[in-house]
Amino acid sequence: MLIENMKMALAALRANKLRSFLTMLGIIIGIGSVIAITSIGDTMRRMFADIYKDIGVTQGYLYIGYWVEDVRDSDYFTMEELETYKELFPGELAYVDAGASLSGTVETKLQKKKFNFTGIDYNYIDVQPVTVKYGRYLRESDVLARKPNCVMEASAAKELYGTENAVGRTFRIDVYGTMTEFNVVGVYEKEMSAFQRLMMGSNSGTGEALIPWTLLTWPNDSIYQCHYFADPSMDEQQLKDFNQRFQAYVAGTKGRNPEDFYLVSAQSEMGQVDTMLGGISAAVGGIAAISLLVGGIGIMNIMLVSVTERTREIGTRKALGATTGDIMIQFLTESAVLSAVGGIIGVTLATALVSAGGAAFSLPVVIRPSVVLLAVGFSALVGIFFGIYPARKAADRDPIIALRYE
Amino acid sequence: MIRLPGKRKETAVPADTGGRESEELIRLENLVKIYDTGALRVLGLNKINLTIRRGEFVAIMGHSGSGKSTLMNILGCLDRPTLGQYYLEGQDVAGLKPDELSAIRNRKIGFVFQSFNLISRMSVEKNVEVPMTYARVKPAERKRRALRLLEQVGLLSRVSHEPNELSGGQRQRVAIARALANDPPLLLADEPTGNLDSQASVEIMELFARLHESGVTVVVVTHEDNIAAYTHRIITFQDGRILSDRQNEHPTPVSSQQGLLHRLT
Repeated sequence: MLIENMKMALAALRANKLRSFLTMLGIIIGIGSVIAITSIGDTMRRMFADIYKDIGVTQGYLYIGYWVEDVRDSDYFTMEELETYKELFPGELAYVDAGASLSGTVETKLQKKKFNFTGIDYNYIDVQPVTVKYGRYLRESDVLARKPNCVMEASAAKELYGTENAVGRTFRIDVYGTMTEFNVVGVYEKEMSAFQRLMMGSNSGTGEALIPWTLLTWPNDSIYQCHYFADPSMDEQQLKDFNQRFQAYVAGTKGRNPEDFYLVSAQSEMGQVDTMLGGISAAVGGIAAISLLVGGIGIMNIMLVSVTERTREIGTRKALGATTGDIMIQFLTESAVLSAVGGIIGVTLATALVSAGGAAFSLPVVIRPSVVLLAVGFSALVGIFFGIYPARKAADRDPIIALRYE
Repeated sequence: MIRLPGKRKETAVPADTGGRESEELIRLENLVKIYDTGALRVLGLNKINLTIRRGEFVAIMGHSGSGKSTLMNILGCLDRPTLGQYYLEGQDVAGLKPDELSAIRNRKIGFVFQSFNLISRMSVEKNVEVPMTYARVKPAERKRRALRLLEQVGLLSRVSHEPNELSGGQRQRVAIARALANDPPLLLADEPTGNLDSQASVEIMELFARLHESGVTVVVVTHEDNIAAYTHRIITFQDGRILSDRQNEHPTPVSSQQGLLHRLT
């Protein structure tokens, strides 16, 4: 019976192609925009998630608040303090350094290239994995002895020396006013997601290299900020909890309230992105809802026309034994099918559009099947809701009058 | 196609009524229908008493306004009488609710209309299936029965056509096949030849005659004497009352065409 009704509904739709299409337009636009925006939102969310994953989701920076006026020497960090934190939060605090970096220009016979030198501890590779292609990574002894050794990113090495294997090469740069000669002890390669490569595209002029963080503790080993990674295996709640505890502990050791210290965590930044995307989605969702409402009214209108046009058919069906319910279901199926077909067209158009956009930016587009199913289901629901009144009208027809209708 | 043979045989095939002829199919007792149009009350039917037995072939005649259409609607369970009883196969259907009446129409009454009332955009076969759909017959069985009925009315070659591809006579034959879909005890035809030319009219009336011969109870509403002449009993209405009710001793003879409708039901 239901399949029968659906076949009939599709036949009716085919018989009036243009009218059906115009009727479905509201639904097509409504569902299409929902799918497009959800997909764009999901894609952006994935993009940011990937970027933060590359950067490290458990990463944080902690420093005395810029709003604190009576800053004391003790508000800064010493190297010893940073070491003790690691011991105090075993299994939770995976990595600590001063979060310092240095930029400078390296000159060789071949090239002159701007570099960004990141000051790291020897176990930075555990929280920011890279592949060491030539030579070695920085060792604990390099860090402790403040040796001017450097691990360079492969493409930068190739640009600078004409070969990726730059192990054994030296260069001189200015470190806080002292010209220092660095040895290249290793070359690494970093895997990047499609998103990050896209984001880095404009930034490729600057070379990347890693040096011991102990070289960047100027002046007087007084360190402005604590840069850390919590254990990467932590879930969202554990991480949030740890960030708070760590902030409170550090502030406490310095005789400060927790809120006097400023915590910048990747987690909270990500939350902001999510909030922003959520806001955009809600706004577009509202527009889509209006569009679906208009589409639904269009469907109601055309169903009323259809019920009038087919008065005799209704009369005949009732004479042949159709009950009120049979007629109701027939017309409800028709409006639901009309609306659902609109939904399917909308989904198809939106998917094509978003995929084309994704292809243009060489981005992998996220389209959730659950969202697609929900959208089509919802459009069918819109059809049923706005079909109730016309179907009721059809079902309540008196067969004698309906049979006489011209 | 049912073709008219060159010469007609005078003797019709004897009706195989299986001894059910004496059984009552319809009994109306003091049936009254009043139309209340607010300011005016019109008496549509005035105390009608009428019995129709199984296997009868009846014509209901009368001018417009005589009450024959009102009776037709009540017999067809499309309308309810204001007063009185209507027994169909012994069941009082006068007081049933609309959906209960739908079920009665579906199982017990086969309708044939003046303007065919086939559903457009649906194949001939699907049209015949409609009453079975409402009787919740399984699709395979529906198809089997529809094809058998279409074979019996001589339209097996047209099963996948749509109604607008058929002639008037063919459409009415589809409608008759549809009316027989649920094997109803009563076939009710309202001016079945009103929209047909004379040749198609003869075809349709001969089809009814053969259905009657095979045991189906047929009631035809008409205002044409030559149509009523095919039937065996003619009831004439005037002003909401039965004016006359007589047996037709010499119904128009039917060509004895074999192969069609020789085994209905």
